Amino acid sequence: MLTRRVRGSWRGSALTQRLIRSGFAGSASVTIIVLALIMLFLLREGAGFLGTYRRELETYRRCGLEFCDLVDRPLAQQEDLAGSLRRALSSSLEPLIGQARARRDEALRLKREVDQLTQTQREVFEQAQALPAAQAAAALPEATKALSAALKAASAAVVIAPILSAKQATDLRLQLSTQIPGKEQPLALINQLQQEFLRVDKEAKARFEGLQEAIETLEEAPEDLRETLSELKELALAAKEQATLHHTLEEGRQKLLNAAQNARDPKEKAALLKEAEASHSEPPDESALQAQIAELREPLVLHIGAYSAKVDQLALHLPEAEIQLPEAMELLQKTAQALPRHAAAMRASVPELRQWKADAPVHLRSVLGAFFFGTQWLTNSSWQDFFGFLPLLSGSLIIALIAIAMATPLSVAAAIYCNQFASPREREWIKPVIEFIQAIPSVVLGFIGISLLGDLLKDLSQLPMLSWIPGFPIAERLNMFNAGCLLALMAIPTMFSLAEDALNNVPQAYIDASEALGATQLQTIFRVIVPAALSGMGAAVLLGLGRVIGETMVVLLVAGNRIAIPDFSDSVGVVFQPAHTLTGIIAQELGEVSRGSAHWQALFMVGIVLFAISLAVNAMARAMVRRFELPKS
Amino acid sequence: MSDSPSQNPFIATDRGASLRRVAMAWSLRLMTGFIVLVTLAILLHIGWKGAPVLFKTQAPFVNTAFLSKLPSTLHVISDRDGRVIETDNRGAEVLKKQLGPNLREEKTISYSGGGILGPIVGTALLVLVSVSVALLLGVASAIYLSEYARPGKTVELIRLAILNLAGVPSVVFGLFGLGAFVLTAPVLTNSPLERSLLIIPLGFAKLSFQGWDTCVLSGGFTLAFVILPVIITASEQCLAAVPQGFRETSMALGATRWQAIRSAVLPFAMPGILTSSILGIARAAGETAPIMFTAALAFKDKLPWQRDLPALAADASWWAHWEQSVQRLLGLFTESVQALPYHIYTLAARIPNNEYAQRAQYGSVLVFLLLVASLSLCSMLLRRRLRRKYKW
Repeated sequence: MLTRRVRGSWRGSALTQRLIRSGFAGSASVTIIVLALIMLFLLREGAGFLGTYRRELETYRRCGLEFCDLVDRPLAQQEDLAGSLRRALSSSLEPLIGQARARRDEALRLKREVDQLTQTQREVFEQAQALPAAQAAAALPEATKALSAALKAASAAVVIAPILSAKQATDLRLQLSTQIPGKEQPLALINQLQQEFLRVDKEAKARFEGLQEAIETLEEAPEDLRETLSELKELALAAKEQATLHHTLEEGRQKLLNAAQNARDPKEKAALLKEAEASHSEPPDESALQAQIAELREPLVLHIGAYSAKVDQLALHLPEAEIQLPEAMELLQKTAQALPRHAAAMRASVPELRQWKADAPVHLRSVLGAFFFGTQWLTNSSWQDFFGFLPLLSGSLIIALIAIAMATPLSVAAAIYCNQFASPREREWIKPVIEFIQAIPSVVLGFIGISLLGDLLKDLSQLPMLSWIPGFPIAERLNMFNAGCLLALMAIPTMFSLAEDALNNVPQAYIDASEALGATQLQTIFRVIVPAALSGMGAAVLLGLGRVIGETMVVLLVAGNRIAIPDFSDSVGVVFQPAHTLTGIIAQELGEVSRGSAHWQALFMVGIVLFAISLAVNAMARAMVRRFELPKS
Repeated sequence: MSDSPSQNPFIATDRGASLRRVAMAWSLRLMTGFIVLVTLAILLHIGWKGAPVLFKTQAPFVNTAFLSKLPSTLHVISDRDGRVIETDNRGAEVLKKQLGPNLREEKTISYSGGGILGPIVGTALLVLVSVSVALLLGVASAIYLSEYARPGKTVELIRLAILNLAGVPSVVFGLFGLGAFVLTAPVLTNSPLERSLLIIPLGFAKLSFQGWDTCVLSGGFTLAFVILPVIITASEQCLAAVPQGFRETSMALGATRWQAIRSAVLPFAMPGILTSSILGIARAAGETAPIMFTAALAFKDKLPWQRDLPALAADASWWAHWEQSVQRLLGLFTESVQALPYHIYTLAARIPNNEYAQRAQYGSVLVFLLLVASLSLCSMLLRRRLRRKYKW
């Protein structure tokens, strides 16, 4: 059959053979071209970022926003400090007033519940009331009867927590059952409980007068400073608005001028030039602003001095004697330590204020620094957008580390087991199941994180016997740990099959030699096979890491999407905080920004970094395999 | 080589050794079992929660409405008699008029009503485009690599590119697709957009590099490059599995290289290539990030071929009718669509969670998983059968 086909077919010349060959070669080189194109398009959209961001930062400086932030940044801590004092107060109040409040809340809850249970009858009753008098006379008695019966049934049915005494419970049921609109009996018990709560609350607060005073002092201390600052901020914002407007107009004019240059028709050219002339705008004059800043600089410095003196004073006079509760004590001590630091930070801003110059140039180096080492990713802000990379990178890295730390032992163990211990029958169904994980789409795993794992982890963290784990109980159900677990599951099949390949590739001669020397099976596995396969396993881990860092949907759905550098004060417990990631931010924000804006370009910059990371991880994995390659047997 | 070390007469007997071996084997077995168990638990959970949505206890046992309706906003209307009725937009209007003052409460849950026909069709179209492109490029590349290329710099570079392409994060592919296909790819048009990168006049029309916008074609091409490495690697393996003798025999009979490939290699490699590319289909169907900015919409109340076109006059020529049908058919590729993975993302992340939303979520997830899993399972089983069948 073969001969017939060959004889019958058209015999190509050498040229056609070469053409066919180069056609195939061309499609093979598509992979190279695509890689180059990816780089090209990422760069095309992202490369303008440095320039755009630099211009934005220049405006930020020139219009005095940076000047305001010099004071505003350290001042932001004041609210945290006041908050922790307030928490100390409320946690010391809690044991004194908790009971009374719980009783009142329980009574109110019961009233709501009875209201809800009888809602249908109540509505019927109200409708009957609204009817004209003649019809109402007929309908009303029946509705009243129904409502009153429902009220009785409901108030008998509700479950009253044991926090209310038996007598109170009976009273409450009785009072609730007579709540027919228009003929209400006063809810005496609820009123009484409310009064009781207010009395206890007042008494308790009287015991912590010093602390309350401290809170008030701290809250009022920066008032003068804030006032001056907000005056400055308004000026700065107005200046920024003008600068932005000027920039937009200027850009439009440039476009028109370009179009005029390319226009062939002289009439059209003249029209375009005229239009460009019309949109000409003077660059905003910032000398007035700068004069005002200079004028307000000294008062600001004075206010800062006064404020930090007040804070220092307060740190010395925190009423520690009033507090007995250990957790309140801890909060108070922490605040006492933080207050002088806060005052020092405020004072440190003074020389910066003095040295600050509106027309100092923004170096490209500092723009790069602001991107790669910036600690804030802040967009759509009415004040100033910041594109700092660190919050995203830290989230991505922590999640990847969690995932790798979980996936490595599991997949290596599974690979060793499958390769060395498992019977052929076991192997036959373990391998397909693990390979099947690869087929589960990432969005499905992310959905599992939202619908199942999140609640599971949260419930688990509330068990008292697990409270020794740092970070437990967890506050957010969507957090880095949750995402890490799911990504570990995603990375397992890749790492498993690569690790198993590595084990398979160990030359039989090594094994034979080991056994000939009298090694047991365990010794052969762990002292010969595994060390020999170590480089392959390392590459497996690296490729798993690449996969995990580049994964999008799971982290977008599950990581919690809070853009902030995680708080490391809780050691390992940091993993239970929500975070945002490099991949997640692109997926979430790209759909909502306009093309060519700084935000758009920043997202493409993040893409460039991701691309670079993936290339680097690949190169490292290859280098690792090559460096430790076994001699071919 | 003996299986059990105790048969080796040269080592001292060590009772602890066998105990240690058993302990080690069991701890490894437990860890392996843990992975398997977690996987099965996830699948069971989805099956358990999704089955009531997808299946029914009465004939035809499958919730056909869920599979054959477009997604819509779900209205849950409760009246004063305690009845709760679920309906769609139009039903809600009628019902509200009917109930009048008897209406007690109306809840609306976006995206959760109707079925998931739109996303299924969208995913199918995306997969169709991406797999055709990827197969064409992938098989050709594999033929070059395994049949024509001699070891050297070029081949090494191509292999490196394939490896790296496989490692590029999917969201970066999304960015690439947005930059390349949505905003830059060339189209034939008479009125190019202002953003066009380059306009080449061709006489009858202009070739304008202004991009295809978000549509099936953009998404399909983006996905094609995501799965290209998978397809190339699989095809190359299949080609390499065809014995060298086949080629030599046919060339000894006077066939050129291309004839040898066409008549003696490809026919034997093709079944394997196609089965392996099913895996590519599963991957393409499962990816979300690449289609987020290139093809997918959160909501669309039309199928891609139901484009709004001006109504034709009664006496319109057959040409006008023909033109409209062609335009409608082209909508298969030039419209943006809903896709199953993106639909699941929308349901899971963009709307408040409640029992109705959950029903839609689990139903879509189960359908999606069944689709992808059956594809992968097919590929796995077929590959196993082929391996037994073609043994040379």
